[in-house]
Amino acid sequence: MLKVNNLMVFFENALALNDFSMEVKEGQIVGVIGSNSAGKTTLMNTLSGLIVDMRIKEIRRGGERITLYGKILFRDEDITATGPSERVRKGIVLCRERHPIFPESDVFENLKIAGYLQKRSMVLEMIQYVFELFPALAQLKSRKAGFMSGGEQQMLAIGMALVARPTLLLLDEPLLGLSPMMQNLLVDAVKSLRAKAGITVLLSEQFARPVLPIIDFGYILENGMLTLTGTGEELMENPEVKAAYFGV
Amino acid sequence: MKRRKERIDRGIKARSEDIFALTSYREMLYLLFPRAVPVVILLGLTPLLSPYWQEVLISTAVYALLAISWDMLICAGLVSLGQSLFYGIGSYIAGALNYYWHWSPLFTIPVATVGGGLLCTILLLPVLRLRGIYFAMVTLVLPLMFLRLVEATRILGGTEGLTGLTPFPGQLTALYVIQLGLLCALFGFRRIINSDYGLIVRGINDNDRAVMSAGLNIHWYKAQVLFLGASVGAFTGAFGTHLDMFAGMPGFALDYSIMPLAAAVVGGTGTFAGPMLGAFILVPLSEILRALGALRIVFYGLFLVIFVVALPEGIFHYLQRKYHQFERWVEVE
Repeated sequence: MLKVNNLMVFFENALALNDFSMEVKEGQIVGVIGSNSAGKTTLMNTLSGLIVDMRIKEIRRGGERITLYGKILFRDEDITATGPSERVRKGIVLCRERHPIFPESDVFENLKIAGYLQKRSMVLEMIQYVFELFPALAQLKSRKAGFMSGGEQQMLAIGMALVARPTLLLLDEPLLGLSPMMQNLLVDAVKSLRAKAGITVLLSEQFARPVLPIIDFGYILENGMLTLTGTGEELMENPEVKAAYFGV
Repeated sequence: MKRRKERIDRGIKARSEDIFALTSYREMLYLLFPRAVPVVILLGLTPLLSPYWQEVLISTAVYALLAISWDMLICAGLVSLGQSLFYGIGSYIAGALNYYWHWSPLFTIPVATVGGGLLCTILLLPVLRLRGIYFAMVTLVLPLMFLRLVEATRILGGTEGLTGLTPFPGQLTALYVIQLGLLCALFGFRRIINSDYGLIVRGINDNDRAVMSAGLNIHWYKAQVLFLGASVGAFTGAFGTHLDMFAGMPGFALDYSIMPLAAAVVGGTGTFAGPMLGAFILVPLSEILRALGALRIVFYGLFLVIFVVALPEGIFHYLQRKYHQFERWVEVE
């Protein structure tokens, strides 16, 4: 479904992603695991096309120059230079890290804004699905989003990505700053996403422990370089992963 | 073979940042050159100009000072649209002292500078807690309010203004007074903003809540920055009063608010040298375009748009980058 060939991203002279290749097959949950500054967010921004927009803004500001090499193929179509909004239309939707939401609008409005590209009936249907997925959100329907807790905002952010009807959902650090209970809830939600809606998920995370059991395939990033690949179980058994991410 | 453009600091920049700079003439020259350019041009070359262009230069320096004052406020995150408030207050203080008590410019200008700065700070103190557009709106409205106040109550000469004030001994004296003021403000403010104190000021712009969490009273710092900016604005007002031998309602004109803003945008904000450079491009340009008559504003506006679109970072930031860094093509892998 998604193929990344020899992707390289430079921020001025700093190399954020070095010769990174990966593949996501239809119906898989794929994880990108890495510590801080491994290049997870850069990868997500590149896949969602946000980096195309960032590059233009940096050029206009005379700031850092962003250089991009390599190819991104989505359903055998080259989308390396496609803008973020066009990629959403194709079905790639990113839920950015640190749960960005519209703080001044309430939960229902947030979800409606996210579904702007969809038909009205479709949006209501999707919102219903989001409320089924996260029952906690349904009760907060008319609460101002800015006043909600981090976990609730994270649920809302994922819900907003879902309303845009992705075929490939990119989740950037969905567990960041959440309690273990909240983490389990989200992990279960991701699992049921694939089972019920058939959405392919690519998630990046630094907490490997809750994520590794549910992924079909994992890529371990270190300083922008791919160091290990394997299925979820393979990675869990790997002594290096155990040492680095489980502290065993 | 893939190539990309690399941007790196010049070796001489890295060397001259160190104590090593003091051991070599080349490094010293590298540091000195950009700082010497404005000093030499302003103080050395201006007496050679014709009287007309000297006059243009004076008004350029006035706008440059107002632009620097605007930039100081922007450093603390205060977006001001009311440089004319500072100009007008400074102008009326100096004018009144000279008109009613016959003080010499030698005293009126310093008193107006400090007093005007204080008065403006006190006037804006209640709205200092407002951020962004609200502060801008209040600063825009205050000078207009004063304008109508003077007109309605007929204090300070009313619509006629205060006329027949003491002029400067000669045009060259006036030129040097304003240029020395300009250089002092430029280098002084650059020094302040690069010190630890400036770090706090820039921090307030970046993330005021983080500065508050560090246990610093941001409103006190904002007030200090406002005083610095307002004093510079009041100085130009006091200077302008004695130059024109007149203090009146035009001091609160919108020109004094908008022009510094345009200069700062063209030159590049946050550096003080940028807004000054912007003023030194825009004001003479508007004089040159005078020959075009009514079309002048059209060309002037067009020129501004081209500048903002082509070099949105500002001329000074661009020049600075070219001076400190170079680019070269390197192979990837």
